[in-house]
Amino acid sequence: MATLAPAVEEKKGGERTALITGSEAIAVACQLADVDVITAYPIRPYDTVMQYIAKLVSNGEMDCEYIVAEGEHSQFEIVKHASAVGARVFCGSSGVGWMYAMEALTVTPALRIPMVCMVGNRALDDPGAFGTEHNDALAVRDLGWMLTWVDSGQEALDSTLIAYRVAEDRRIFLPCAISCDGAFLTHSQSLLQIPSQEQVNEFLPRYNRADLLLHPDNPITVAPQANEDWVMEIRRQNYAAMERTYGVIKEAFADFERIFGRSYGNPFFEEYMTDDADVVLMGMGTLSTPVKVAIRQMRKAGKKVGFVRLRWFRPFAAEELAQCLSRFQAVGVIDRDYSFGSPHSGGVVAGEVRNALYPGAGKKPPVLGFICGLGGREVTIPDVEKITESVYQAAEGKRQPLTQWIGLRE
Amino acid sequence: MGKLYAVEIVYRGIFQKKLATNISRAIVLAAHLDGKPGISFGRYGDSPERNGIPAKNFAIVATDEQTLQEGMAKYEPKEVDITISVDDTLCKGVESWAWYGLQPINKLTKPGGTLIVTSMEPAEKLIEMAHNRETPYNLAIVKGSRSFSGLWVYKDDHTDVRVLGAIAKVMPELVSLDAMKKTILQEWKDPVKVASAEKSYNRVTKALVQPGQGNPETPYQFELPKWHEMGEGVAIPCIPVGKTVEDPVTHVLGGIRPDRNPTFKKFSTRTMRPVVNFETCIKCTLCWLQCPDTCFDVTPEGLYDANMEACCGCGVCEAVCPVDKCVTMVAETEFADNGSQWETWRKDSTGYLQWLNQKIESRPERSHGFRFKGQYQEQVGEMLQIAQES
Amino acid sequence: MATIVQIDPTQQLDPFKSVKKIPTHEFFTSGHRTCQGCESALVMKMMVKAAGPRTIVLGSTGCMYVANTTYYSTSWVVPWMHTQLGSSGSAALGAAAGLKAQMRKGKMKQEPINVIAFCGDGGGADMGLGAISATMTHPDYNLLILLYDNESYANTDIQLSGSTPWGANTTFSTPGSVKRIMHHRWKKNMAGLMAVGHPTCRYVATICMSYGLHGMNSIRKALTIGGPTFIHSLDPCPKGWDYDPIQSHELGELAVQCGIWPLYEVEDGKLRLTGRTQQIADGKIPRKPVRDYLLRQGRFAHFTNDDLDYFQSKIDQMWTKWLIPGVIPFEKDLAADNPPA
Ligand SMILES: Cc1ncc(C[n+]2csc(CCOP(=O)(O)OP(=O)(O)O)c2C)c(N)n1
Ligand code: SF4
Ligand code: SF4
Ligand code: SF4
Ligand SMILES: [Mg+2]
Repeated sequence: MATLAPAVEEKKGGERTALITGSEAIAVACQLADVDVITAYPIRPYDTVMQYIAKLVSNGEMDCEYIVAEGEHSQFEIVKHASAVGARVFCGSSGVGWMYAMEALTVTPALRIPMVCMVGNRALDDPGAFGTEHNDALAVRDLGWMLTWVDSGQEALDSTLIAYRVAEDRRIFLPCAISCDGAFLTHSQSLLQIPSQEQVNEFLPRYNRADLLLHPDNPITVAPQANEDWVMEIRRQNYAAMERTYGVIKEAFADFERIFGRSYGNPFFEEYMTDDADVVLMGMGTLSTPVKVAIRQMRKAGKKVGFVRLRWFRPFAAEELAQCLSRFQAVGVIDRDYSFGSPHSGGVVAGEVRNALYPGAGKKPPVLGFICGLGGREVTIPDVEKITESVYQAAEGKRQPLTQWIGLRE
Repeated sequence: MGKLYAVEIVYRGIFQKKLATNISRAIVLAAHLDGKPGISFGRYGDSPERNGIPAKNFAIVATDEQTLQEGMAKYEPKEVDITISVDDTLCKGVESWAWYGLQPINKLTKPGGTLIVTSMEPAEKLIEMAHNRETPYNLAIVKGSRSFSGLWVYKDDHTDVRVLGAIAKVMPELVSLDAMKKTILQEWKDPVKVASAEKSYNRVTKALVQPGQGNPETPYQFELPKWHEMGEGVAIPCIPVGKTVEDPVTHVLGGIRPDRNPTFKKFSTRTMRPVVNFETCIKCTLCWLQCPDTCFDVTPEGLYDANMEACCGCGVCEAVCPVDKCVTMVAETEFADNGSQWETWRKDSTGYLQWLNQKIESRPERSHGFRFKGQYQEQVGEMLQIAQES
Repeated sequence: MATIVQIDPTQQLDPFKSVKKIPTHEFFTSGHRTCQGCESALVMKMMVKAAGPRTIVLGSTGCMYVANTTYYSTSWVVPWMHTQLGSSGSAALGAAAGLKAQMRKGKMKQEPINVIAFCGDGGGADMGLGAISATMTHPDYNLLILLYDNESYANTDIQLSGSTPWGANTTFSTPGSVKRIMHHRWKKNMAGLMAVGHPTCRYVATICMSYGLHGMNSIRKALTIGGPTFIHSLDPCPKGWDYDPIQSHELGELAVQCGIWPLYEVEDGKLRLTGRTQQIADGKIPRKPVRDYLLRQGRFAHFTNDDLDYFQSKIDQMWTKWLIPGVIPFEKDLAADNPPA
C-alpha cells in the first residue's frame, strides 16, 4: 500500500507507524475500507480529511468517485443515494455545514442508510467561529444516527473502521458520525499505528445492501409516502435497530481487539483513574487531555479524582454508565455545548447523564454540569481544578449550582 | 351528558370541496343559532385532495360544550346521524385517498339514521348501489344532477342550500328550518337561496331501507401488518410486470395485462366509465397510450380493454379516440359490475353491441368541471329549474 | 494518457418508429392516487416505458411522490426511491456514481443502467435548481433529470412557484377585491437556463406528453446520449389549472399550439425546434391565440381582456423579438414591459 505521510516505521505484515493528523487518519481508514463514493464540500475544520482524500485519489492510491458537491445538502444526498445502490460511502462536515445538510441528515437513518461520516466539531454561526463546540453533531442526536466522539488520531482511524463494520451490519443499517474536535484532532499530527489491508479485510466485510438494494434485479419501492397507519410501526423498526447497536458495537470491538491487537476496554466509555476515585469528571472528545493532566496533578495533592470519557453518545450506554457512576460520591460533567432553556439550563451531556441515573437501582451521586471550552476556548488545568473543587463540595453534601460556566470572563 | 349529533358529507375531492365545506359550515352556524355548539372539519387524511377521489367532511354539533368535547376526542366520528352523499355514484362505496379498501357509503350511518343523496335516480336504484347491512336506515333524495366545479371557480347551483334544507327536514333536532334559513341569508345574502332551501325542505323524500337490502358484495379490505412483519428501510416490493391475456373463446394467449396495485384500485373515483366498441376500433393505440392510469389491457388480437377496477373515469381515452363513438364515457350509475368488456364481447358480440348501444344512448350529460369561461352560468339555469320542479 | 472524462456505455435506445411500435409492457402501473386526468402521472408512465426495465427512478417530493406511492402500496414496477424536494440533481448523481464505482471496481455486474431522477417545477426549478445545475456540470455520469412541470407546488394544494404563469390563481395568489393579479412574476425559462448555462449537459429537451411519441423519443435520446441530460415536460394539471379532466390531452396540445410551450432540443450544443413548434416556426401551421388556451382554465377565469392582451404580447415578444424564438430571451432592442394595472 502506498503511503500518505512519511512512514516512520514499517512493521511486519504491512502494519506501519505514521505521523499524521486525525483527519489524515480518517482518510487512511477510508482508503483501507475501499470506500466507493465520497462527497466533499469545504468547511473548516473537517474538510482537511477531504483534502487528504483528494490527494490519495489523484495519486491513484484510492479508487473512488470523489465528488465535490455544490453544498452540504447535496453532499449528503449524493452519498445517501449512492449507498442505496450498494456503494460504500463517506462524507462529512462541520458546524453550519452540518446544519445545512440537516434535511438529508434526517432522512438518512430513516432510510437505513449506513453512511459513515466525520464531523469536525465546530461552533455554530452566528458569529462565524472555527473553534470546537459539540452542538453541530448533537443536533441529530434523536434521529437515529450513531454518534461517537474520539480523542486521538489513533482512535479516529480505528473508530472509522469500527463505524463501517457496525453501520453496515444488516442488523443495524444506521449511519454513524465520528466526531473530532476541531484543531486538537483535525490539525495536529501524532504517531499512529496503521493496520494492514489484510487485517482490515478480515475485520470489515464488504457492504452488502441485500434486500434493500436499489437495483433492477431487486425491484423495490423505497420510502413511499406513509400515513398515520404506518409511521409508528416504521419508527418502531428504527428503535429496534438502534437497540441492537449495543450488542453489535461490542462484537465489533471484540473482533477489533482480536484482529488488530489493540484494546479499548469498554467500548462505550473510557475510565481513567476511577478505581479508587471519590469523585469523577465526565466529558467527550479531546478535553480528555487537559482533564487527565489535571487529574494527575490533583492526585499528587491527595485528591482522588477520576475521569469517565464518553465514547459513544448514541447509542448511550445508560445502564452501564449508571452502574459505573454509582461507585462515586459526585459527578461533574463538562459540556462543550449548550442547551438553552433545558432542565437546569445545563449542557446536553449533563442532562443525559442525569437521565441515565434517574431510574437506576443503585446509588445516585449528585451530578453537576459545567459549560466549558465553548467556541474552542482552551480548557485549562485551573478550570478543571475549579470544577473538581465544586464536585467535591457536592460530594460533601454542600449545595452547588447545577450548571456553572467555567473559563468565562466574569 | 347532553346529546351529540354527527353529520358526514361524502364528496368528490376538489370537484365538490367548496360544496362540502359550504354544507358543513352552514350546519354548524345554524346549530349555533339554535344554541348548540359545533365544529366543522375535513378528514385530514384526505388532504391533499385529488380530483374525483372521495373525501369527507364532518359537522359535529352538541347540546353543550362538554358533550361536544366527547365528540371531538375521536379522530373522526365512529358513527353519524346523517350521511350526505353529494354524488350518487359514491353510493357504490368509497375508497378514499387515506385508507385501504372500500367502505360502504352507509358504513357510519347509525341504525335508523339517514343517508341523504343528491341524485336524479329513483330510490330503488340507489338502494341497489349501496352495500346491504344488518340494520335499517333511511334514504332521502335531494333531486338534482351532480354539482361539480373546481378549485377556483364555484358553480353556485344551490345544491349546497338544497342539501341544507333537507337536513333540517330529516333531523329538526339538529337544526331547525328557521335557523337554517337565517344562516343561509347571513352567509350568501341571497333570498333566492333561502327559497331553494325551503323548497327542498318541503319536497325531500324519505324511504326506509330494510336490513339486507342492497349490494350483497363484501367490499375488499386490507389488514394492517404488525411492525415486525413489515419490511425494513421503508421499502416495499414493486409490482410485477404482468402476464399475457387469454382469449376466453379461443384460449389463445397474447397481449399483456399489467399487474396492478392490489391495495388501491381507484374505481370509486369514477362517475363515468368508458365503453368501447371493439368492432370500430382501428387499433390506433391512443387510448392505451394516453391513459394516465395504465388501465388498458392489451388483448391477444391487439385491442385495448379498459380495466374497470383501475379506471378512474377521467375521459381522456374518449377525448383521444379518433373514431366516433368508439370510446364513450357513460355514467357510472348505469353499471353494476367491473367485468371485462372485451371478454363479454368475445363471448357474445351481438349481445355486447346491443348492450353498448343502449349504454351510449342512455348516457346522461357529463360535467366534470370547468371547460370554458361562462359555462357554469349556462348550467346553473338548468339546475335551478330542477330545483323548482322537483 | 488516461482520458479525463470516463463515461460508461449507455443503453442504445433507438427511437420508437411509430405509436404502433411502442412496447406494450408497463413499468408504472395502475393504482396511484393522482387526480383524474393527471398528465404528470402520464409522464411517469411514458418516462419508464421509454426507458425500459433496466432503470432506476428517483423521485422528488411532490404529487408524483405523495400521490403515486402510499406506504405498502406502489405503482412502480421498476426500482424507485424517494428523494428530498430539492435533491433530484443529487439523487441522480449519487445513484449514477454509486453504480459506476461498483461496476468499475468489480463489485457489481457491469451493465448500463438508466438513472432517472424526476422533480416537479417547485422541487426542480425552485428549490433544487442549485443541485440540478451542479449535476449538469458533472460530465462523467449517465443520468437524466426529468422536470415535470404542472406549474405550481401542486401537492401542497397549488401554491405559486417560479414556474407558475403570470396572473394564475393559486392558493398563494388568489385574486382579491383590490389585487386582481397577485402573481406578477413571469415563468422561469428552466430548459433554456439548463442549456445555456451548462456546456457539459449533453442533451436538453422540452416535451409535452400530449405528444407522447415525441416525448418518449426525447427520453430515449437523452438516455442513449448519456452524460448529464435534462428534459422539461409541461403537464396539464386538472386540479391546479381547474379544468374538466377530459381536456387534459387537449390542453397540452393547446399550450404548444399557442406558442406558450415551445418544443425544442439542444443536443451537444446544437439547437433544433421540434414537433408542432417547428411547424409554427416554419409557418406551416398558425400560432393560435393564447386566449384559446387560457380561457379553458379556471385559474385564469379572473382575467380581463387587458390581461389576455398582455399575456399575448409577452408570447408574441418571445416569438418575434427573442434572439432564438421561444428559447433564449436575449433581444437586440430593449422593449418596455407594460403589465395591465
Ligand atoms: C424541504 C421541504 N419543504 C417543503 C415541503 C413541502 N412540499 C411537499 S410537496 C411540495 C410541492 C412540490 O411542488 P413541485 O415540486 O412542483 O411538485 P408537485 O407537487 O407540483 O408535483 C412541497 C412544497 C417538503 N416536502 N420539503
Ligand atoms: S377514463 Fe379512460 S383514460 Fe381515464 S382512467 Fe379510465 S380508461 Fe384511463
Ligand atoms: S383510441 Fe379508439 S380507435 Fe384507437 S385503439 Fe383506442 S379504442 Fe381503438
Ligand atoms: S394536483 Fe395536478 S399534478 Fe397533482 S395529482 Fe392532481 S393533476 Fe396530478
Ligand atoms: Mg409542481
